[in-house]
Amino acid sequence: MIVLRKIGLLFVGLVLLFSCSDKQDFGQYDDLTITPTFETSIFYVKTQESIINRVTGISFFTQDFNFDAFEEDIFAERVLEGSITYELENTTSKEIEITIEFLNENGDVLDTEFFQMDAAPTALLTRVVAYGGADKSLDILRNTSQVRLSARNLGDNTSTSNLPDPAIELRSIAKFTVRVK
Amino acid sequence: MKRIFSISILAVLSCNFLQAQNKQILYDFNEIPQSLMVNPGVESDFKWYTGIPMISGISGYAGSNGVSVNDIFAEDGLDINDKVRNRMVYGMGRRDEFSVNVQLEILNIGFRSGNPNLFYSGGAYLEFDNITYWPRDYAQLIFDGNADQLNRRFNLGDLKTRGSLVAVYHLGVNKKVDNSLTIGARGKLYSGIVDYNSTRNSGYLVNTEGQNNILNTTLNADLQLRTSGFGQLDEASDNGTTGNTLIKRALFGGDLGLGVDLGFSYRLNEQTVFTASVLDLGFIYHSGDTQNYSLNGIASSEGIQINVLRELSNLNRDYWQDLVDEIEELVPFEENNSAYLTFRPTKVNASLRYDFGAPKGSAEDCDCTTDPSGGNSPRIAYRNSVGGHLFLINRPRGPQAAITGFYMRRLGNILAVKATYTADKFSYTNLGFGLNLQAGPINLYAIADNLLSYRNMAASNYASFQLGLNIISWDRK
Repeated sequence: MIVLRKIGLLFVGLVLLFSCSDKQDFGQYDDLTITPTFETSIFYVKTQESIINRVTGISFFTQDFNFDAFEEDIFAERVLEGSITYELENTTSKEIEITIEFLNENGDVLDTEFFQMDAAPTALLTRVVAYGGADKSLDILRNTSQVRLSARNLGDNTSTSNLPDPAIELRSIAKFTVRVK
Repeated sequence: MKRIFSISILAVLSCNFLQAQNKQILYDFNEIPQSLMVNPGVESDFKWYTGIPMISGISGYAGSNGVSVNDIFAEDGLDINDKVRNRMVYGMGRRDEFSVNVQLEILNIGFRSGNPNLFYSGGAYLEFDNITYWPRDYAQLIFDGNADQLNRRFNLGDLKTRGSLVAVYHLGVNKKVDNSLTIGARGKLYSGIVDYNSTRNSGYLVNTEGQNNILNTTLNADLQLRTSGFGQLDEASDNGTTGNTLIKRALFGGDLGLGVDLGFSYRLNEQTVFTASVLDLGFIYHSGDTQNYSLNGIASSEGIQINVLRELSNLNRDYWQDLVDEIEELVPFEENNSAYLTFRPTKVNASLRYDFGAPKGSAEDCDCTTDPSGGNSPRIAYRNSVGGHLFLINRPRGPQAAITGFYMRRLGNILAVKATYTADKFSYTNLGFGLNLQAGPINLYAIADNLLSYRNMAASNYASFQLGLNIISWDRK
């Protein structure tokens, strides 16, 4: 019995002995990096001209919004770089200013984006704000808990644009690269 | 996370070193008692046999038709990131698979009844089986993300995997109906230890142009993962009783199922034999320790959307949390403990064999001999056999086939050897070799597959071995 068991082992041993393999380097696994880039819309705000006309004074809109997306661990701990793209469209008869402020949990302002647009007709304003590396610090986003949106009317409160559904529309997408491995 | 990912990658790639569910060398190698396990209707002539517990039959299989260890880890100076990207992420398709099957015989015995035409066999074995199809779109999403891919639908149906660890108890009967026909059947009781499957998935993730915002992201998901047995094993692991729990679940303390193997051998003439078998025609009912997860629904999002005119009186609400809640409501992630049914991976074998050459162990003046198993109508056993074998197995993406040509040579009553050539989705250059040694009552067999791959094992997509040790009666029936 022992002899036959040894024969079996010998068979396996011979197979392995006469088998070959190119040299493998499993240490390469440490060099593998997985860094996908994801993009999605983040917020959209539309303020109609009728609303602007109702408000007396320059500042017609100020609102803080809770925004925890960038604080989520899956993002905050893995983000490497990225950008937020804003698109601002003004079809009202007024020159306007828009300010976006990123606030931390205590309400402190971490960063500000300022936009100024002439009255319609005017071109779409597109701005790409980059984060990470030599650009703005990613910590701004990591610590952002709220977004404050402020709008100022530098025109009048009576005129109405002859464009259909006149309004100020702010669109935005986030595009970020994260480290999976 | 890093450890799990590392283990997954290495486990998947190291599959290449093992062997397959297609036991084309063992099939119809009727000098080996375990050939009854792949065709209960094989022409057997044992009086009795008993396998040496735990070493009578060890077989393992693993294959990866899309990539090999060498493709990724060869010391070739190439950047591993390029190799993974070109050879896996964008080199493999959703029909490419990683599969593993390991069987360990615990007990296997057989004996001939008072009626010499009836042979009974039975025993138990453990079987681990897994198949995972390459989740192509998931891999591309994880490696590159969804940026700058407007209208690209990432197919969530690419996730297809199933696996199980099962103890199988079986009892078979083999009957020689007449000199031409031998039939056999084997009943099986399955005792499921663990099971996982996620095979009925569909849906997609896509970015399209938004109506209000720049992008609209749509998740349409119908995903399901069903598991059984892991809860008890987790608990046992915490209590240090994993061994006891495994044994308990293997001894009908887990999920139960029934199955059957059927087979026959039919002699078209004195020298030509047609055989066929269907294996593991059965099911397992999973209950008691099931944990199922699902993600089902459709949600589209353009991010937080505020229409000041419409929401003038409600601007202080938490838009972010409302968005998260809305998506979770539309595509809920749910858990339940419902029982479920799985079907075993059914296999079908068929072969056509032609016997010829000088007689085996006979001094008669012909190229043949009388096989003592024939009883009143002795069969003729030849020294040489040549033939073809077809193998089919039921898989989540449809049946897979393998075709084999073989030559077998019997050297006296001591030694029989079999050489095969097999073509399947893993390899078109699969040469196999089997050896059966009968030393007195001791029977030893050894089978190796895909021999050409041994020149560079790391580059192999498929390799296998089977080993076993039995004690067989001196005299046959």
